[in-house]
Amino acid sequence: MTRNEAEQILQKTFKIPCFYDEQWKTIEMILNGERVLLIEKTGFGKSLCFQFPAIILGGITVIFSPLIALMRDQVKKLNQLGISARGVNSEQTEEENTQIIEDAKSGKIKILYIAPERQNNTEWIEATRQMNLSMVVVDEAHCISVWGHDFRPAFRRIINLVNLLPKGLPVLATTATATKQVEADIAHQMGGDLNIIRGNLMRDNFKLFVIKVQSEDEKLIWLGKNIEKLPGTGILYTGTRVDTEVYARWFEFLNIPSMGYNAGLDTASRIAIEEGLMQNKWKCVISTNALGMGIDKPDIRFIIHTQIPQSPVHYYQEIGRAGRDGKPAYIILFYAPDDKSLPEAFIEGGRPSIHKYEKVISEIKKDLLGERELIKKTNLKQNQFRIIKADLLDQKIIREITIDRRKKLEYVPRAPQLNTRIFEDLRASKTDDLNHMIEYVETSQSRMNYLCDFLGDSTPNIAESCDNTGLKKVQVIVTDDWIQKVQEFHGQYFPILEVEMKGINLVNGIAASFYGFSNVGTLLHRCKYENGGDFPDFLLKLTLKAYRKNYGQNKFDLVLYVPPTKSGDLVKNFAVKVAEVLNIPISHQLKKLRETEEQKIFENAYLKSDNVKNVFIFENRDQIFGKNILLIDDIFDSGATIKEIGRYLTKLGAFQIAPLTIAKTVGGDKL
Amino acid sequence: MNNEAAYWITLAHLPRWGNLKINKLIITFFHDNNLTIEDFFQLSEQDWRSNYNLEYKDIEDLKKAKSELPNIAFLAETLINEGYEMISITSPLYSKTLKENLKYNAPSLLYVKGNTAILKEESVAIVGSRNASELSLDFTDHIAKLASVENKVVVSGFAKGVDLKALDSIIQYHGKSIIVLPQGIMTFGSGFRKYYQQIISGDVLVLSTFFPKSPWQAELAMARNPIIYGLASEIYVAESSEKGGTWSGVLDGLRKNRKIFVRNPESFEQTANPLLIQKGAIPVNIFGKPTPEYTILKSSAITDQANESNSKNSKGTQTSLFD
Repeated sequence: MTRNEAEQILQKTFKIPCFYDEQWKTIEMILNGERVLLIEKTGFGKSLCFQFPAIILGGITVIFSPLIALMRDQVKKLNQLGISARGVNSEQTEEENTQIIEDAKSGKIKILYIAPERQNNTEWIEATRQMNLSMVVVDEAHCISVWGHDFRPAFRRIINLVNLLPKGLPVLATTATATKQVEADIAHQMGGDLNIIRGNLMRDNFKLFVIKVQSEDEKLIWLGKNIEKLPGTGILYTGTRVDTEVYARWFEFLNIPSMGYNAGLDTASRIAIEEGLMQNKWKCVISTNALGMGIDKPDIRFIIHTQIPQSPVHYYQEIGRAGRDGKPAYIILFYAPDDKSLPEAFIEGGRPSIHKYEKVISEIKKDLLGERELIKKTNLKQNQFRIIKADLLDQKIIREITIDRRKKLEYVPRAPQLNTRIFEDLRASKTDDLNHMIEYVETSQSRMNYLCDFLGDSTPNIAESCDNTGLKKVQVIVTDDWIQKVQEFHGQYFPILEVEMKGINLVNGIAASFYGFSNVGTLLHRCKYENGGDFPDFLLKLTLKAYRKNYGQNKFDLVLYVPPTKSGDLVKNFAVKVAEVLNIPISHQLKKLRETEEQKIFENAYLKSDNVKNVFIFENRDQIFGKNILLIDDIFDSGATIKEIGRYLTKLGAFQIAPLTIAKTVGGDKL
Repeated sequence: MNNEAAYWITLAHLPRWGNLKINKLIITFFHDNNLTIEDFFQLSEQDWRSNYNLEYKDIEDLKKAKSELPNIAFLAETLINEGYEMISITSPLYSKTLKENLKYNAPSLLYVKGNTAILKEESVAIVGSRNASELSLDFTDHIAKLASVENKVVVSGFAKGVDLKALDSIIQYHGKSIIVLPQGIMTFGSGFRKYYQQIISGDVLVLSTFFPKSPWQAELAMARNPIIYGLASEIYVAESSEKGGTWSGVLDGLRKNRKIFVRNPESFEQTANPLLIQKGAIPVNIFGKPTPEYTILKSSAITDQANESNSKNSKGTQTSLFD
């Protein structure tokens, strides 16, 4: 097929006049049955490099993509063009996925997007035996490499698959962000005859700024004063989920239309927020970096980071979502000297201690167990366990096998010793990346050049692209009225306790503060563990304030409190005071059937919920039936205790159970 | 081998080809023409026709197989991910004993899980009925014990009776064992759970020659018997009736001049063991030692045969089909 012929089809089917040279170069290789790694910036049109050949080749093209939003978006666009495309992912029901896989088998689908994790699914593997496969695409190929900024263990199997595919079957791997090291690693893993096409990464419509501040409050103040002056709509990236809540509340406080987003939201909410973003419903969406990858919104006019990302690659990837239409986009990074402690903590705390690895290996050697059983046996947090599991799989010390349709972890006979050197190397590499990110903050050179250089692209400087090359530097001016506003905001901001569950009459509750905020955690700790006496009145006042804000109009029939494990009558005395002030009857009849351990000694939710399962009793159920109950505790951590009580009281006929606590922990708080 | 796995799976299970025909093709491309299996599949139809004397139907089969390679690659990836290894007949890991014994009929691909080094060791097959007598089970136990003392691997077929006794005993004596499956290797889930410790400690190798997902079938059980005999340097028969897998397997072995030891039964027993002895199998007592009558009657012949066999083994000069 000549380029001319191809472009005629392109115009007819995709309504695009012509290919870029590098697109055509890639497509030619693909049609020739070759393997290609394509590194091009966001907005280049990488997708066309597989979508076009997919409609020319006879069978089905399978695209492994980790980004569900991208799947959804591209499937929709292809269908609008009359190309039969579908996606298989965890957001859809199993029935939907099964139907799509059936359609793929019977040749009704030309382009199938699929999450890499699906390679673990027996039904999918069965189905692949009957598909007429004509091409395989690995999207976001940097996820293959542990040296990349977003390594994903599920990609390991995709690489193994690619290496097993017969010669002559085209394979395309694409990414927008790969340093030379990552590029070399991908090429090495994909083996042999790989063609590499690397484009330039310069985004000349970006206006890059770094705003140096002294505190979190200065960030709030600058944003409060200026965000509405920025053109169009954009994204505000924060470092943690809690911060998305804080900033969303701050904008709410100032009546600036905004919406918080994080990976913990349910699918429907995520889709609704993504759609709202597309329709410019808000000035900005406040999110962790879970949002944006794969969202094809051409006119994101600004991207602001309140927290320094871990590396220039992360940063380039995240800001890459702005200004895809080529029009100016404002790229702002806040930096306070303390900010680097969060990414440092990620790097330092990225891996559990070696003895935890050994504990897992030793359990796996003893018996063929599943993940859940192992988490219980080793008393590890699920996320820690998953890190260990991924590392052990990577080092070929264990493998995940399927026995009678269940996943088990198996020790590999004659496996190598755990290699801890690689952890140190990775840590050193990540520290080095973070130092480069700080260097980006401090540099007096062109910021875009700095990023491109880091990514292995040395395109020459462009004038006026940042606050070092002609654009005015931004400084935060703190005025009294804004200091007052921020203080007012802090005094009325209370974290939500998310406990609502199907079939249980719990409603989301409220805490007076985050555990680590101001001195709340310290006070609680002193009372609970250092014989500091009853919780001070300051905490009572704050808790009542939270109560009024959240439950103002609610009429409660009864106050109950969580019976203690160790801290004696602290919670009881506190609940009595609350009940007294609010003038609600209190009952002391919620008791424990047996002694429990303190929840804080358990590292994972499975063991926490086991610890309190069926432990509560309330003798006189008439007091509960049909009642609206305020349930009080001191600290809300995993929520396992509140949920268990909620389950039990629902069984006794409670109409509604509303939790109220003094503090809510954030992941990593030491109690 | 790993990157060639899809090709080997495809070739090994070409419908209606059979091991003989497949092996002849392998010899031509691998041995005579020095091509890898990947190279062979990249050849044109013209090359297949003119250089490999393949008929129209064979070429159609190969074309179809080639078109299915991407699909088989998914299966191969699953197999490797689950810790199964594939050993092709051209691999140095392939059992020399099996190649020597079955020659052109050796399976072109082995699916295994466990310690593959076991395939290189001296081996003893213990075979017999599913409904074996106590005496036969005792015999099995003694042979397994002997094998463990002599560091020989016990090969058995994972059927009830003698097979399972052989396996249990060799595990009890901390010896090594090969389980030859009458089914595809991916359908042995419960077995992998049961023998997990033995597999990870390197004492057990599970082996199958069938398509990985094939469930147990009577015909696969029959087809597996030659593999058991083929993997062993010595064959011990605990008990045979006058029909069935043991009987036909031993007769086949005798026709091929294999050295086969049969338990000399007590006079009250109803077995076909004496018939096998009449046909040339070597009678042994319950401890596996040749019985005195036999030693006296056939001493010279046996000694010669045994010496010949021993000297072959000690020099490691078994002829190899594809070396």
